[in-house]
Amino acid sequence: MNFMDWITNLDRRWLYLLVGVFAIVPLIFPLGMPVNVSPAVQSLYDHVEGMNPGEIIMVSMDYGPSTGPENDPMACALIRHALSRDLRIVMLALYPIGGVNEGIQELQRCVGDLDPPNGVLESTKFPGKIYGKDFVYLGYKDGGLATMRQMNENIHEVFPSDYWQTPVTEYELSNEVQGYDDVNFAFSVATGIIGEWWANTVNAQFGLPVAVGCTAVSAPKYFAYYNAGQMFALLGGLKGAAEYERLVLDNYPQAKADTEEQVFYAAKGWDVQSVVYSIITIFIILGNVAYLLERRRTRMQL
Amino acid sequence: MLKKKIPVLLCFLAGLLPIISFFFTSPGDGLREANDTLEQWLVVVSGFALLLGVISVFQVNLRKISNRSKGWVNAIYLLASLVIMGAFGLMDAFSEMPGWGWVGTSGNTGFNWIFDAIFQPLQSTMFSLLAFYVASAAFRAFRARNLEAGLLLAAAMVVMLGINPYVVKVLPFLPEWTRWIMNGPNAAAQRGIIIGAALGAASMTLRILLGIERSWLGLQEGE
Repeated sequence: MNFMDWITNLDRRWLYLLVGVFAIVPLIFPLGMPVNVSPAVQSLYDHVEGMNPGEIIMVSMDYGPSTGPENDPMACALIRHALSRDLRIVMLALYPIGGVNEGIQELQRCVGDLDPPNGVLESTKFPGKIYGKDFVYLGYKDGGLATMRQMNENIHEVFPSDYWQTPVTEYELSNEVQGYDDVNFAFSVATGIIGEWWANTVNAQFGLPVAVGCTAVSAPKYFAYYNAGQMFALLGGLKGAAEYERLVLDNYPQAKADTEEQVFYAAKGWDVQSVVYSIITIFIILGNVAYLLERRRTRMQL
Repeated sequence: MLKKKIPVLLCFLAGLLPIISFFFTSPGDGLREANDTLEQWLVVVSGFALLLGVISVFQVNLRKISNRSKGWVNAIYLLASLVIMGAFGLMDAFSEMPGWGWVGTSGNTGFNWIFDAIFQPLQSTMFSLLAFYVASAAFRAFRARNLEAGLLLAAAMVVMLGINPYVVKVLPFLPEWTRWIMNGPNAAAQRGIIIGAALGAASMTLRILLGIERSWLGLQEGE
């Protein structure tokens, strides 16, 4: 059997095995792949760096567990970056399948375990940062686009209580934020269409600057909004997450220590993805070489 | 007659209000207030749509089970999962109401446990499997069979290699080429799709508002 026959008839299970092995190995032994920061990611970092202490970021958890490995590190990196710079965060969730769970999971991963109803309000990871004063989680609200539009009028009517069912007026931060005018920008960690709504409704109609962290599959579509200026920054997939994470980790030692404690973070995921991308690329090239050689042989036989 | 005309009229008014409110009112206007109320209703109604969805899932799957249609066993699993998750969710919701603490533990424990221990890993697994299928499909189907496929292949190669850190060390111009593809041809095509879809949505909205499109009432064309 020559090369052409071998590559043409390759059993797909060999490919599955190769992808499986090369996905697992970098997770166990991180490769530390270099990351080149793109302008779309740099602009989010620069924007956060340019904010004054005390300013507020709205973080919307618009994704579920299926895209968690891509979206979780984006949310975490931004939360850590914001708290490291003494900025304040209002988190909420608009995605029905797990947005609320992803939100609380990532918040607690970044700030440590919280139990506001029983008085555990202070972050263990960021000492001095208090739930309700420096960050707050409003939980999930159904309604998508209608909810977003309504939030411009009065957030308190849309989210009368936080994740733990405490009235939002009882916390300093959530009491202060009544509409989009009270926040500096919104960051939607998105899968599907909700990130688009932030751009074409909240940014286009209400003028709030919007940044989006989306899955790699959605990134090509989001580039149209980024280029049109409807979002000032875009984190596309694990690569975007790894770029932003790298910027934060290089400049904030506490964030670096906390991130590297985790079993999975964007840089590790990027190692895996780079290796698997390389395998796919090699096989696409091999497949095409075999195809072209086969076509030439067929033509010569005619 | 009224069965058709009243819903169409209500639909027309409900559709007109946000348009007028957006273009011709300012905060505090009566129309703006009315629109805000309408949007609040929309949030509430969308909650009821979930209930409608649940009823529909039950109807479809119960029929499947009673007819022993293909995949009827899966329908049992689906309904069982729906009932169990729904029950835990409702127990938690009720447990937070005064006097109802006995029905469950506040803090969504059962619901969260199932979500974190079963649903989340299952969803992650389903999504992870894509990596294997994409690898296999790309290898088998991504061939330069004609000019269009060749161009697509070339663009994909540039983008995939342009984000590979080791390739970039050897070919440092590739990230710039990748950015050009993403910001140029890709964004232009995406913009075309987005604008086309928006125009389609706008024209469909107009057809519904003007009563030309009535299929949402369960009516056929001409009825």
